[in-house]
Amino acid sequence: MAAALARLSRRTLADPSRLVPLRRLLSAEAAAPAVSPAAGPPLTPSDRVKWDYRGQRRIIPLGQWVPNIAVDAYVAPNVVLAGQVTVCDGASVWNGAVLRGDLNKITVGFCSNVQERCVLHAAWKSPTGLPAETLVERYVTLGAYSLLRSCTIEPECIIGQHSILMEGSLVETNSILESGSVLPPGRRIPTGELWAGNPARFVRKLTHEEILEIPKLAVAINDLMQSHFSEFLPYSTVYLEVEKMKKALNISL
Amino acid sequence: MGTLGRAIYSVGFWIRETGQALDRLGCRLQGNYYFQEQLSRHRTLMNVFDKVPNVHKDAFVAPSASVIGDVQVGQGSSIWYGCVLRGDVNSIHVGSGTNIQDNSLVHVAKSNLTGKVLPTIIGDNVTVGHNAVLHGCTVEDETFVGMGSVLLDGVVVEKHGMVAAGALVRQNTRIPCGEVWGGNPAKFLRKLTDEEIAFISQSATNYANLAQVHAAENAKSFDEIEFEKVLRKKFARRDEEYDSMLGVVREVPQELILPDNILPNKSPKPSQIG
Repeated sequence: MAAALARLSRRTLADPSRLVPLRRLLSAEAAAPAVSPAAGPPLTPSDRVKWDYRGQRRIIPLGQWVPNIAVDAYVAPNVVLAGQVTVCDGASVWNGAVLRGDLNKITVGFCSNVQERCVLHAAWKSPTGLPAETLVERYVTLGAYSLLRSCTIEPECIIGQHSILMEGSLVETNSILESGSVLPPGRRIPTGELWAGNPARFVRKLTHEEILEIPKLAVAINDLMQSHFSEFLPYSTVYLEVEKMKKALNISL
Repeated sequence: MGTLGRAIYSVGFWIRETGQALDRLGCRLQGNYYFQEQLSRHRTLMNVFDKVPNVHKDAFVAPSASVIGDVQVGQGSSIWYGCVLRGDVNSIHVGSGTNIQDNSLVHVAKSNLTGKVLPTIIGDNVTVGHNAVLHGCTVEDETFVGMGSVLLDGVVVEKHGMVAAGALVRQNTRIPCGEVWGGNPAKFLRKLTDEEIAFISQSATNYANLAQVHAAENAKSFDEIEFEKVLRKKFARRDEEYDSMLGVVREVPQELILPDNILPNKSPKPSQIG
């Protein structure tokens, strides 16, 4: 039964006149009219691509700004890097994160990790005198679902899950932010302290042992990243699927 | 194509077939552990039976966002990367000029159970921050929902209201006009100043401009992407001093110039938050 149905649909698809809408759906050129918002005619709702077979591109250059991933860094396949983003050596960006440097620079430093579904964005300017770029230095662990906007995180810090860092906040070396904490704009966390809460408050000083643990955690996550990294081949083989499908639908390559 | 070209083409074809055979062999050797990649099956706009999303042609919907079911998106709105607007049990209405930033979730509550209908209505020129969760609530025009905030069932944010970052607004709360609420559970913090109210609408227009740039970039076809890659390589930004020492004037090609409205020093009125 299924085979018969497949044969029938194959026969219908072979007829080129019925293929026009399908072809439009499949070809990337369908989206082309939207290229320049100023010049080209805007998309009509019927022209909007509902299913882009390419999925979301991982690297989205904006003008001259191209996101830059170091060879050693792991960036999960469904991460979006847009604009001025730099991911340094040994850093890892895990699934579902969005790093959008369209207004200012975003840097993820050596051996840092940005865990699942984090959002890093930068504003035009910050209320404090600091530059408004989002700077994550080396050996920083950003927990899942954390949100960073134009803040500076100095080396060897831990930012807990679900924490929110607003414009112009500064986390100094060797400090820890508990999960679920919110740093209001322009707040500074001094060296070697533990902060928590919404808005974040001082909890206690960190002991020497805890401070030594911070880079170890980053390195442990770096090790984990290596195993994920090795799972991905440099080039995917999806283009074969695309070719196969285009051939099945009689679209010239 | 000449005879030589044809010959090289067929040689290329043989080598590619060999490569694919090697690939299959490698997969066979990996045994049960190997994973074959597939085409993306993610759908940006999706129906649920007869509920069809209705997105205005000028709106930007990122390819990694999911707009499902009965969702209306107005003119100039933007749904950013990783957002989920799931109008499967009730309707979602997003006004014009609104932006719903990355990884946010908009959902609706039980439809017609115990006579309660809670669609989600988001007004015009609203800024919904990153990672926000809006569940069956009403957000009126020109409001600001901060990053990582959660709005539960039946919340109403009145015009010019503001929910601070990381707030959790409990069921059936009404945030009056021109007030800031924050904390968990959300409490009244202070009144908004006129400057901040002006900033909210400014933020919405900024985002609408930004969205246009992203929309143009995301809608590019494969050929255009490759073309711009080559252009970018050719016109890679050298140090400006270096160029001026050599007396080189580099003309940036049209394709690589961003519109003025997203560059900070060229914009008419830059504000704190983009």
